[in-house]
Amino acid sequence: MNKFLETKNITKTFGKLKALDDVNFNLYRGKIHGLLGENGAGKSSLMNVLSGIYQPEKGAIYLDGQRRKISSPDIASQLGIGMVHQEFRLVESFSIKDNLTLSKSNIFKGDFLKSFKKYSEIFALNANENEIISNLSVGEKQKIEIMKLIFNDSNIMLLDEPTAVLTPQETSQLKISLITLAEEDMKTIVLITHKLKEIKEFTEIVSVMKNGKMVAKDLPTNDVTDNQLIELMMGTVKKSTINKNNEIGQTKLKVENINFFESVSNIKKLEEINFQIKAGEILGLAGVSGNGQVELANIISGIEKIFEGKIIINNNDVSKKGVRSRKKLNLSYIPENRLGVGLAPGVSVIDNSIVRDYFFTKLGPHLSKSRTSNYLQSLIKQFSIKAPNPKAEISTLSGGNMQKLLMGRELVGNPDVIIASQPTRGLDVNAVNAIHNLLIDQRNKGSAIFLISEDLDELFKLSHRLLVIFEGKIVKSFNTADANINDIGLAMAGVSE
Amino acid sequence: MQTSMILDWPWQVLVNKYTLSKRQVVNELSTFYSFLLGFLIALIIGSVILIIQDKSPGDTFSLMFKLSIGSVNSLSSSLNKATPLILAGLGIAIINTVKLWNIGAEGQIFMGAIAVNLIYINLQLSNSTSFILILLFSSFLGGAFCILIPAVTKVLFGVNEIITTLLTNYIVLGLTIYLVNGPWKDPDSLNFPAAAYVGKEVYLPNIFGKLSYGFLICILFTAFAHYLKNNSVFGYEMRIAGGSEMTAIYAGINAKQKAFFAMLIGGGFAGLAGGVELLSQTHRVSTGISQGFGYTAIIVAAITGMRPIGIFLVGSLFGALSIGGSVIQTIGVSTYIADIIQASTLFGALIIQFFFNYQLKRVDDG
Ligand SMILES: Nc1ncnc2c1ncn2[C@@H]1O[C@H](COP(=O)(O)OP(=O)(O)O)[C@@H](O)[C@H]1O
Ligand SMILES: [Mg+2]
Repeated sequence: MNKFLETKNITKTFGKLKALDDVNFNLYRGKIHGLLGENGAGKSSLMNVLSGIYQPEKGAIYLDGQRRKISSPDIASQLGIGMVHQEFRLVESFSIKDNLTLSKSNIFKGDFLKSFKKYSEIFALNANENEIISNLSVGEKQKIEIMKLIFNDSNIMLLDEPTAVLTPQETSQLKISLITLAEEDMKTIVLITHKLKEIKEFTEIVSVMKNGKMVAKDLPTNDVTDNQLIELMMGTVKKSTINKNNEIGQTKLKVENINFFESVSNIKKLEEINFQIKAGEILGLAGVSGNGQVELANIISGIEKIFEGKIIINNNDVSKKGVRSRKKLNLSYIPENRLGVGLAPGVSVIDNSIVRDYFFTKLGPHLSKSRTSNYLQSLIKQFSIKAPNPKAEISTLSGGNMQKLLMGRELVGNPDVIIASQPTRGLDVNAVNAIHNLLIDQRNKGSAIFLISEDLDELFKLSHRLLVIFEGKIVKSFNTADANINDIGLAMAGVSE
Repeated sequence: MQTSMILDWPWQVLVNKYTLSKRQVVNELSTFYSFLLGFLIALIIGSVILIIQDKSPGDTFSLMFKLSIGSVNSLSSSLNKATPLILAGLGIAIINTVKLWNIGAEGQIFMGAIAVNLIYINLQLSNSTSFILILLFSSFLGGAFCILIPAVTKVLFGVNEIITTLLTNYIVLGLTIYLVNGPWKDPDSLNFPAAAYVGKEVYLPNIFGKLSYGFLICILFTAFAHYLKNNSVFGYEMRIAGGSEMTAIYAGINAKQKAFFAMLIGGGFAGLAGGVELLSQTHRVSTGISQGFGYTAIIVAAITGMRPIGIFLVGSLFGALSIGGSVIQTIGVSTYIADIIQASTLFGALIIQFFFNYQLKRVDDG
């Protein structure tokens, strides 16, 4: 088989981080290729290099055997390479037609309607070409994104997690459409996904990335087993290194029969979630982002108010109570979105440091400058935060120090229940260790900790028990001591035996 | 981060080499320095225009200086002039704490004056002090009422407040014209349509000389706005809500409620400006109640980075500039020179502020 596109030794760094490390990758004409890898493995970066958005420091790209420099998205599009990003890039206020014909290189100016009809059929899209994008459903927008590539005459279509936002029905429809495109139009397609089922059903060839490296490429999908893929993706997970024989106390948090529907789309996001956490216990929730973790954390913390089921903190039913009354029962929440939810951008370090406690410490309508300043200084000391200027805007701190400030603020009151969502994502090794130690200390002090993470190292290291969430359901539960990494990986990827 | 994504590709080479990054530490006095430099730039621009017109900048500026703050009398006029500017500017700053813009101070000023006249006509009190206080309070409510629709539509439907507050200016101006030509028209005011004068008993007295008690109100409200923004729990909640609505919700702060009350209070400040102006200067409702105070107040608030004490100082300077500008006509220089200086100060200050906040950095990777 001839290589249609080939990359050799692509390296791309961001500061100290090697997002792509000597990556070789091949595409074959008319085939659907799967690209697997944990979050942060470098999949999107590789696609961004192919579509001219990132410039690699090293390496070469060959198209049809010819070396090409893809120095901008414009050039990529001239070469017939197009990408659908994880976030939509449609002009919301324009019509479908305007979005499809927006690009300079679109080829269907003359007989737009004919082509639009043809591809609407292939994609099972039921919409008039004059419909405004913002009126479309998420699934329909995804179809327009992919159609945009066809209208730009892209022969290589790079699809970055297109199914993450789709319902199972929409996903099966997409499968049919993509297979048609590959077979009839000889489109060369890359599909990034975290779901093994989709890899199996959509693709002929699969490659796997881990930590910026291509750990396996050009595997025929039919010949590899789920287990092999998971092993490649997860690599070796360091088994727990900390002592877990600490004292376990009373039940602090009970989550009973939670069902949740997203308000606008009415899509079911959480189904029959049940668990309990005791004092001194860390319960890990493993799962690929976007499988309901944020919704669950928001429901427990009181941000999301409309759901079915019960949340019980310290034997108090708080299902109908707001954020503040849950905080008064000593619940702390470290949200995964650090800057934007946990911390307010554009606001000073000192203002951000008292977000949790200001209404406990205020004096009537007065906010005492000296009290808040003392409060921040004690956080800085206790949690070794580097924040020289309290009045500086919060985003001037490094990621690690932001997270330490956020954690410190949430932990200083010795909470009974802690929800920690992706607490170390994007941090360097030192910061990760510091955050882990904080959680372990807090565990030893008797907090019940709900640790939501995608990082299996972290989950294995810290948790006593593990749950796996997939598409809003708890699909597995383990005692960490007897858990098998492959079983967890398979459950995270949606494989159920 | 990816600045290059939003720009067009010919810029790519340049953008790939340099990026604008926010400075880690911004000098705390940067707003003050920006203002000074901006004012200097404005004086230079003013001088150039004067030279083109064959007038001596030195003579013109020294005359402006003398006639605006050279004597107790002229200084009093300047401070009286500054009063509505400062009050409206404070209102804009309070609303901006939740990162919303009030372009409707002009309309709120008129509404404040209309409220005063409405209550004055319908209520006669013998005790003039309490009558004046009630009238001032009405003007505050009038201003708050004026911003009610923008506030409700913002909070309930997310309608852009810049547009709605701007629109209310035209509505209220129309209402004023209707009132002074129709129901409130004073038959004694022949050519100039205006409402009847209010009685002398509700005139705001002067502290001394020409300096009105309005200025004292202005000082008190500056202190109040400063406290509200910087030292109160409400101010803190407004800052968080302005920074990120999600963080506010996470913290248990009702972001929409804060935005709503911030808008009403800010509108009230501007309304009070109208009330003070009526009771101390114009003494009647007409289209001349405000000479664009509500718009100049936006400049004042923006120059100072929305700081109440800064607004007080810059507002005072701008008041003096207006008085100075209005007297230099006598030597044949257009009063617009004062407006040009005010607007150029903002322009200059914003540019300088930008360089305090950002720096050009060479990119070392990719
Ligand atoms: N524009 C960027 N600036 C800095 N770091 C980046 C950028 N894009 C990606 N990264 C980093 O590179 C790594 C790989 O990211 P990405 O390619 O998005 O992974 P994936 O798509 O496999 O989840 C991550 O650690 C991510 O934080
Ligand atoms: Mg990605």
